[in-house]
Amino acid sequence: MIAPIEATGLGKRYGRKWALRDCSIRVPAGRIAGLVGPNGAGKTTFLHLAAGLLRPSAGEVRMFGRSPREQPKLLLDRVGFVAQDAPLYRDFSVADMLRFGRVLNARWDQRAAEARVRSLKIPFGQRLGHLSGGQRAQVALTVALGKRPELLLLDEPVASLDPLARREFLRALTGAVAEEGLSVLLSSHLVGDLERVCDYLVIIVGGQVQVAGDIETLRSSHRLLVGPRVRADRLLSAVDVVRAQHSERQTSLWIRGPLPVLPSGWREEPLSLEELVITYLATPAAGTLPEPELEVAGL
Amino acid sequence: MTWVVWRQHRLEALWALLVAALLAASIGFVAHQMSISPCPAQASPGGGPVPGVADCLPSDFWGSLAQGIVRVNLYQYGLVVLPALAGAFVGAPLVAREIETGTARLAWTQGVTRRRWLLVKLGLVFVPLLAGAAVVGILEVLLINVEGPQANRWALFDQQAPMTVGSTAFALALAVAAGSVLGRSVPAMAAALLGFVVTRVGIAELARPRYLSPLAFSTNDASAISAMKGSQTAWWLDQFQFRTSVVQAYHYQPGDRFWTFQAIETAILVGLAAMLVAFTVYWVLRRLG
Repeated sequence: MIAPIEATGLGKRYGRKWALRDCSIRVPAGRIAGLVGPNGAGKTTFLHLAAGLLRPSAGEVRMFGRSPREQPKLLLDRVGFVAQDAPLYRDFSVADMLRFGRVLNARWDQRAAEARVRSLKIPFGQRLGHLSGGQRAQVALTVALGKRPELLLLDEPVASLDPLARREFLRALTGAVAEEGLSVLLSSHLVGDLERVCDYLVIIVGGQVQVAGDIETLRSSHRLLVGPRVRADRLLSAVDVVRAQHSERQTSLWIRGPLPVLPSGWREEPLSLEELVITYLATPAAGTLPEPELEVAGL
Repeated sequence: MTWVVWRQHRLEALWALLVAALLAASIGFVAHQMSISPCPAQASPGGGPVPGVADCLPSDFWGSLAQGIVRVNLYQYGLVVLPALAGAFVGAPLVAREIETGTARLAWTQGVTRRRWLLVKLGLVFVPLLAGAAVVGILEVLLINVEGPQANRWALFDQQAPMTVGSTAFALALAVAAGSVLGRSVPAMAAALLGFVVTRVGIAELARPRYLSPLAFSTNDASAISAMKGSQTAWWLDQFQFRTSVVQAYHYQPGDRFWTFQAIETAILVGLAAMLVAFTVYWVLRRLG
């Protein structure tokens, strides 16, 4: 099966600075993939390259095997995109916005779009500039879903929303995905949100992909070991350490791979996804990738 | 796509229609008033900005209203300024507003290619505005026709068709290009206005008198100029004196060259506009992102 997104050696340079560099990932079909990283890590650049808004400086990105910039006609109908802050025409009414989607997209589903707006209890005559941030995000999602895409790209869709609106938005998203069976790639710097909806994770730091893989596999292939500092050395040589943290008496090791034989005094502690992500964000040099290696490590 | 462009620009369309209608009505009204009473065969020689128009108007209420319009001269200035305003207020935000509000990211990820989006948008904005410029410019030609064959057309060079069309096309194309490159409406408006004024004044002052080499008329009696055949319809350029002689020479472009000059300058402006549109298409499709 052709992957919805496949990047090989993808890079984007602004002047001398690389916003994204040597990025190779393959997001499998039918997944909700999360793109996580600190601000300025290159998440938006990657999504814009995938949506065809940007032209790569190096490498290539293919959606369903096709280049978004070279073959836009074949892709524009199949890929939905909601940019950061959900830009919409503020002087359009909600009905205008749906009509915009209808006249510009061949596969537009007007009935489903109207039903979504109705279920959100947003009046059709309301101008978009007068809606709340949460409602605007929902309308933007409605337009993106209305075109019945096979792949949905969302850039920080919940960043500007309050916790309740965030929950509503993510619920709407997972509901739509379950109904339509589409693939999703959404970016966020909030791991908690991603954990709630995603089953695939891409960690990106400083313009480079650190980790990409199935969340379950990631979880099962990493562990946190805690023990007395004095006996850390023997363990250190036996495992693949992602990050080590030493306090006066105690050492914490975030490791990749199976559980080793632990020296006395050492124990394994539960490792949350958030902690795992932070571990990689805190130690960019530990980047594993490419993804197949990680999967080998996890199996 | 047509509906989208209409929905986005209907306010500008309404304004353009209103202004064009006002201009057309005022020009048409003056032309009608002039045609009621026959013009005296001999109008004032040398000529002001609108030579002889006042002499052609009837002396009743409507005639003096028409005379008021001519004296204020609003539409004559308007015809020079409006293309620049159309550029600044319609052309500059065309792409720039989409970039600065982020809606370009929405528009360019719908099921319509960026090329089609841009070309439809350009077409739907250019065609009606150029048509409006043509209508108003043709009315101005007809207005001057009413004055009769002795009318001097050169003083209203910029206000007649096809120059109004060339000027509007250039103003719009320059503003759209500025908006695409700068990505912000207000700086693009300023840049487009400045570029328009500099280019138009530069062409009018430096190039226009030289499209064809001027003729010379020499005499030692200045009053002989007005006696010269075709003196009234000529564009008098400058006066010079031969070093060894008392004879004065005058450069001029004769009246029968007027339409050739209109065609040349319109072609220059339309050519510039075409290059700017091509540049805009290149920039939006290749350079943005």
